[in-house]
Order: sequence, then structure tokens, then C-alpha cells
Amino acid sequence: MRFLIHRYNPEVDKKPRMQEYTVEGFASGAMLLDALFRIKEEDDSLSFRRSCGEGVCGSDAMNINGRNGLACITPLKSLKEPIEVRPVPGLPIIRDLVVDMRQFYHQYRSVKPWLTVHDPEPETEYLQTPEQRDQLDGLYECILCGACSTACPSFWWNPDKFRGPAALLQSWRFLADSRDQATAERLEELEGAYRLFRCHSIMNCMDVCPKGLNPTKAIGNIKKMMLKHLV
Amino acid sequence: MSWRASSGLRSWLTQRLTALYIVVFLIVFAFVWGGQTITFESWRAWVAHPAANIALLLFVFALLVHAWIGGRDVVIDYVKSASTRYVLLIVFALGLSIMGLWTLRILLLAGME
Repeated sequence: MRFLIHRYNPEVDKKPRMQEYTVEGFASGAMLLDALFRIKEEDDSLSFRRSCGEGVCGSDAMNINGRNGLACITPLKSLKEPIEVRPVPGLPIIRDLVVDMRQFYHQYRSVKPWLTVHDPEPETEYLQTPEQRDQLDGLYECILCGACSTACPSFWWNPDKFRGPAALLQSWRFLADSRDQATAERLEELEGAYRLFRCHSIMNCMDVCPKGLNPTKAIGNIKKMMLKHLV
Repeated sequence: MSWRASSGLRSWLTQRLTALYIVVFLIVFAFVWGGQTITFESWRAWVAHPAANIALLLFVFALLVHAWIGGRDVVIDYVKSASTRYVLLIVFALGLSIMGLWTLRILLLAGME
């Protein structure tokens, strides 16, 4: 199988280049990450992030044949050759397939992704009805791989101001939580032309999400909630 | 959250409400004029009617506001330098205002006949 892999080492290279590799003999269920391991055996200068290898940790998000995804759960069989692998777009490149995620994490941190409760804490635990708990399905599963935010043109153009789909999905995860009491503060924080409203609902985020989540819908829900709070 | 403080939500909502009016107007317009040949006289008579006159004025106003929000969004997305942004937005706002005033003049004159 033929691979074209994005290579860039800022200490040596003036600009990025695509390097070709040919590797054969994969098992039938092999994933792209297996191929990257084989290439690394051949050429140990290749850098990429990975950890769990089964789509849970979110470390190996990359741009695969022009589409963001996780290398560890992308079957080689599903890809057209030559398989072009690049870092996720829009973030500064540290080396080869490794990007600087600081802007992404900054936006995530900005939505205060934790429960805020103003009342005194209960004696035992916070109670939720099964229906209230259901509200969090499709939100809590996010693994913060960054595939969605780096597929979003609004995030490419304004990564310092627009929160991006991943952070906004988490914002909605806490707005939708029956136990959270910081609704007004959260909505207030997202006001203005940039943080939330740079989203034009083009749905690249839900298209690429490896966990099948829908940030566009979450963003729509935040807008609806803002509207309710206004009237 | 107050209406004044919510600039993002305000533009978003205004864009949707104007879109709604534009669609409703166009459907009614197609219903009223569908299948007929519009002549200068029939058009003039229609525009002279106060209801049509006001509906048409609102339509143009909604269209201009809708265009302003959309155009401003494009500028905010793609234009980085603040000075270029101001120049583009001023030119755009001027153009839209002139179109609005011109329409207002035409419709007021037509309505007074």
C-alpha cells in the first residue's frame, strides 16, 4: 500500500513536504495506526501521537485523505491509495503529524467544563432523574480529539476568539445538566459576535466526529436557550 | 441577559426573522402576480395601494438588513485587519443605505399618487 505522509521538522526543514512510503502485508482488519507503526519501524524519524489505539483517548486525530479522523479506528481497507496523511488543519505544526493543541484547550477551558453549584452541597449525592440523565447522552462522550474544531472554517479563521465545536458541545453538556446552576453565567460568557455566533451551521463538525456526536445541534440548543433567557 | 447586551444573539435572531419575512413576502407576491404579465400601469396601481406599498417597503428593508448581517459576518470571518474591516463595512453600509433611501423615495412618491 502506498502512503504519502506529511513530514516537517522545524529544526531542519524550511517547509513541509510529503514523503512516500510503501508497506505491504497487513492483516485484514488493520487500521491506519498499524500502518503508521510499520512506517515508523522503517523510518523512526516519523512523529505522531497515539495512546490507547482504540478510539478512546483521542490522541491520534489526523487528516486522512482530506478528512479528519482517528488513525486507530480508520480501517486501511476503507481508504483510497495513495493514502495521504496530514496533521489536522488549522493548528500550528510542531513536527510531522503532531500539532500544538494549546488554542484548542484554551477554548475548552474557557467554557468552564465542570459542574458549578451555588447551593450548599447535599449530604449524600446529587440526584438526577433518568430523564435528566438522558439529556447528557451524546454530549459527555466527547474525547477531545479535536477532529471537529480543526475541521471548522470558523475555527480556522478565528481560533483565538471562536470557542469551536468541541468546546461548545461541552458548554451545552453543562447547560443541559440539571445539577448545574451557572446557566446565566455560561450564556453571558458566550455572548458577542465571536465565541458562539461565528458558527454558521455548516456541520463539518458532526460530519467528522469519530464518536458520532453532533456539536452543531448542541450549538443550536445553546442559541435556543439564549433566546428563552432573553424573553 | 438583556436585549441591548446580546449583540450576537440579536444579529442572529434578526437575520432569521428578516429571512422569514422575505420568504413569506415572496410566496404572497408569487401568489398575487403569478401567471400575470406585469405592465407599467398594473405595477404602478399595485404599488399605489397602501398595503402593497408598505409590504414592499418592509420587504426591501428586511432584505437590506439581512444582507447587512450576512455581509458583516463574511467580513468578520475573513478580514483580519481592523482598518480594512472598517473601510469595507462603511462602504457596504453606505451602499445599502443609499439603496434603502432610494427605494423609500420611489415608494413614497408612488404611494402619494
